[in-house]
Amino acid sequence: MNTLIKLKHLSKRFGDLEVLKDINIDIKEGEVICVIGPSGSGKSTMLRCINQLETPSGGEIIYDNKNVTSGEIALRDMREEVGMVFQRFNLFPMKTVLENVMLAPVLTKKKDKQEAKKIGMELLDKVGLSSKANVYPKTLSGGQQQRVAIARALAMEPRALLFDEPTSALDPELVGDVLEVMRDLAKNGMTMVVVTHEMGFARDVCDRVIFMADGYIVEEGDPKDVFTNPKEERTKAFLSRVLKN
Amino acid sequence: MDLSFLGVLLPMLFKGLRVTLLVAVLGILFGFILGAIAGFSLECNKKILKFLANIYIWIIRGTPLIVQALYVYFVIPKITGIDLSSIVAGVIVISLNSGAFIAEIVRGALDEIDPGQKEAGLSLGLTATQTMIHIIVPPAFRSMLPALFNQFIISVKDTALLSVIVVNEITKQIQNYAALSFKTIEAYTTGAIFYLFLISVLIIIQKQVERKVMA
Repeated sequence: MNTLIKLKHLSKRFGDLEVLKDINIDIKEGEVICVIGPSGSGKSTMLRCINQLETPSGGEIIYDNKNVTSGEIALRDMREEVGMVFQRFNLFPMKTVLENVMLAPVLTKKKDKQEAKKIGMELLDKVGLSSKANVYPKTLSGGQQQRVAIARALAMEPRALLFDEPTSALDPELVGDVLEVMRDLAKNGMTMVVVTHEMGFARDVCDRVIFMADGYIVEEGDPKDVFTNPKEERTKAFLSRVLKN
Repeated sequence: MDLSFLGVLLPMLFKGLRVTLLVAVLGILFGFILGAIAGFSLECNKKILKFLANIYIWIIRGTPLIVQALYVYFVIPKITGIDLSSIVAGVIVISLNSGAFIAEIVRGALDEIDPGQKEAGLSLGLTATQTMIHIIVPPAFRSMLPALFNQFIISVKDTALLSVIVVNEITKQIQNYAALSFKTIEAYTTGAIFYLFLISVLIIIQKQVERKVMA
């Protein structure tokens, strides 16, 4: 499998605070990577550095063999192909569900409105929300909003999707529907990097799990190994705490 | 009580009302354009634009409207050699003045928008400009409408000060009538009631607008 995204010696500091230290990750095409770790470990910052919603302080990001940090590929071109799903959904409140999904393809890919609408409806159908196409986001539950956000990201026909704690802001009973959609995507070969606290999802769906703490990658590997037989003390301590609940 | 003076005064007040509304409406429109430019400048990363916007707001907020009016009407023509009619000068003054306050309204509305909205736009591959136009501005504009209308009401009242540069708005008409008829009590009392009525109507419209916006 080809490497789609490569993080080389990535670092990030906010003032004196170093939140990412020498991060190296190869994300292969079709791979599903879950990033776990305690709050403040830098996992969301790492994810946000990939599409540069946070500008890295050092290191390189290589996308599709092109260096993003040195400008071999325009950041915007990469963003068109690498979608993002946020913890707080970030749907556009003054646009209907369908308009949310159609907006980016029409603006960036100059897609014909009718075509974008057709694709939008198909995607909403895929996430089980075609009946909500013409309502505004605020009338939806959190889980529904997150599924719309996933459809919105998919409308760009991305080659990879970044998920930043996609279920953390949801009521527990709404988590399942969102994870279901993500499982489907994973099954169909979407390249995904998922920052999550959902250990079940990480164990069952991921190809690889990365455990971060204090801005470092402490341990990574096959989820079965990491969950059942973690090598590092930090990982053991973290897992025993979260898996107890 | 003899109300026959209204036969002369009321037509004058309505003539003044036309001028007042003309100056206030044009003033708030140009003021909105100025305020939007200044407000966006305050929010952008370009230090020079931020600096210029701050200077503009500082000057306007730091001087009385009446001084601004006298300056535009008497001093600008002396410097530039361009004579301004009193109405044009009035529109310029109200535009400059309301623009400075609208800049703060615009800045506040932009500040209120969740940064996640911008991130969502950028992460979808939109340019910064597309994100601004399609994602940030529509909700920001909606949230600033009540404050903009409030500024319009303030500008309507501010036009009264333009009487010093002979703009024939409501206050000037009241002064004219008082000077001609010597009916000072009648002139200013009727004038004040006329303003009260006008502003009340605007406040009722504002409430309607607010209700629509909040819905």
